[in-house]
Amino acid sequence: MGLLSIIRKIKKKEKEMRILMVGLDNSGKTTIVLRINGEDTSVISPTLGFNIKTIIYNKYMLNIWDVGGQRTIRSYWRNYFEQTDGLVWVVDSSDVRRLDDCKMELDNLLKEERLSGASLLILANKQDIQGALTPAEIAKVLNLDAMDKTRHWNIVGCSAYTGEGLLEGFDWLVQDIASRIYVLD
Amino acid sequence: MEEDPSNPKAISDKTLDPVTQKKQAAMLERLSNLHQSRIQQSNSRKSDSNSSFPFESTKSYLDRFSEAKQSIQNELDRCRLVSDPESKAFLKSDLEKVSISIAELEKLVAANSYFLPSYELRSSLKTVSELKETQENLTSELLPKKKFAFKNKAAKKDQSNVVEETGIRASDSGLAERKSFQSRDSPGFRNQEGAVLVKHFGNSEEGGDFTLSDLKSCEIRVMGSLRALFIHRLCNCRVFVGPVLGSVLIEEVEGCLFMLASHQIRIHHARETDFYLRVRSRPIIEDSKAVRVAPYLLYYEGIEKDLRDSSLDEETGNWANVDDFRWLRAMQSPNWSILPETERIHTVKISNMEA
Repeated sequence: MGLLSIIRKIKKKEKEMRILMVGLDNSGKTTIVLRINGEDTSVISPTLGFNIKTIIYNKYMLNIWDVGGQRTIRSYWRNYFEQTDGLVWVVDSSDVRRLDDCKMELDNLLKEERLSGASLLILANKQDIQGALTPAEIAKVLNLDAMDKTRHWNIVGCSAYTGEGLLEGFDWLVQDIASRIYVLD
Repeated sequence: MEEDPSNPKAISDKTLDPVTQKKQAAMLERLSNLHQSRIQQSNSRKSDSNSSFPFESTKSYLDRFSEAKQSIQNELDRCRLVSDPESKAFLKSDLEKVSISIAELEKLVAANSYFLPSYELRSSLKTVSELKETQENLTSELLPKKKFAFKNKAAKKDQSNVVEETGIRASDSGLAERKSFQSRDSPGFRNQEGAVLVKHFGNSEEGGDFTLSDLKSCEIRVMGSLRALFIHRLCNCRVFVGPVLGSVLIEEVEGCLFMLASHQIRIHHARETDFYLRVRSRPIIEDSKAVRVAPYLLYYEGIEKDLRDSSLDEETGNWANVDDFRWLRAMQSPNWSILPETERIHTVKISNMEA
């Protein structure tokens, strides 16, 4: 985040935040977005492309970009990096086999300069499924403690199915972005 | 215009005094000159584009692109087959030339990018990056770096080694961590051959996630409702599963038959496999070939209730609405088809009994 874009945001009347949701396929990104927006989550097809949702959250306007996670379309993620304030990385906590994949993709993402200023929220989704790994276990596998010290990050367990943990996660994310960008209010 | 007698303005013009009339004539002449020169300019522009560079025509762009691509590929193939030492000496400059042609091709794409349909643009960019990769691989394969290059950097290399080692150690601990998680395996069937595997989730036992992995020539029957199902590396198996409330994720299956009901179904790397599906959303395939789909036809005692509890009692018809992530065009994907009715199996009844 350059200084100029921070100043531009401060000047803006409506307080917008741009949030990018990414993660492996089947991690539940679209379900999470629809759930926090209070929409029906019973029929969701795997995302071919992307969805954008604009949500008023507290006094902020969140533009949430939910980008498909299938392997074929992961290479297009970078088209959405520009001007991202918050990054949400969604993990299927019950999919132990692909955690390596998940770690690799996340590491690649965090190398991206255009995302270097974005706050990172990791959602350890599907906590409602018995046998799912806990957020602490996910944090260990993803080696989050080794992350760049300048990065603002947090990991929260959640379930898009029950809705548990989602507000906690997004509260943190929005507060963190606000404290960086709208610090002058 | 001024000669048109029906035009009242033209008539009135004639009554104007001579000075005004002169002014008007001069003005009209200027206007017509301007018009003429504009026509000339646009004509010359048109002929320009016809002769040298046809702008804004997707077809001519595609022709040029595929021609250039072909010649680059030919050149790469030629370089690959070079064996006699004499032409090997030229290999370096040849490969550099290829690299320049690729850069030119990239420029062509960039110059035309503003009018190309997004699909063509994407596929062109993909082709360019593939060509680049081939060229780079070939260069490193045919022209390995000379040994002395490493000596110069010996001091530096030591440092990077240290970093690498710590990096490896860190990921090792991650791996160990992961192994310990895998040891508390989620329920499932793994590493079996030629077996009949049966699991019944009763009323008291809630099915969480379930895994089928590394199975060969097995028949698998899972009754009762599940939350999630992971399927990985199955060969020549027949799989019958009750409703899955969450999603099914399938990777690397070959020569199998699956009968699945779920809210979401993702199929990756499947070959010659038939899927009998009931699904609330659109099932997807990726990197798959010879996949055939048909509607769900499973019966076991109590399946109606299980389907109802998982909101899968209704046939949505989505089993036939397969999205192929490797085929983003309007035409039907060649990677999947609907299983002809005459080749479908009949309703399958499963029970706890081993067949």
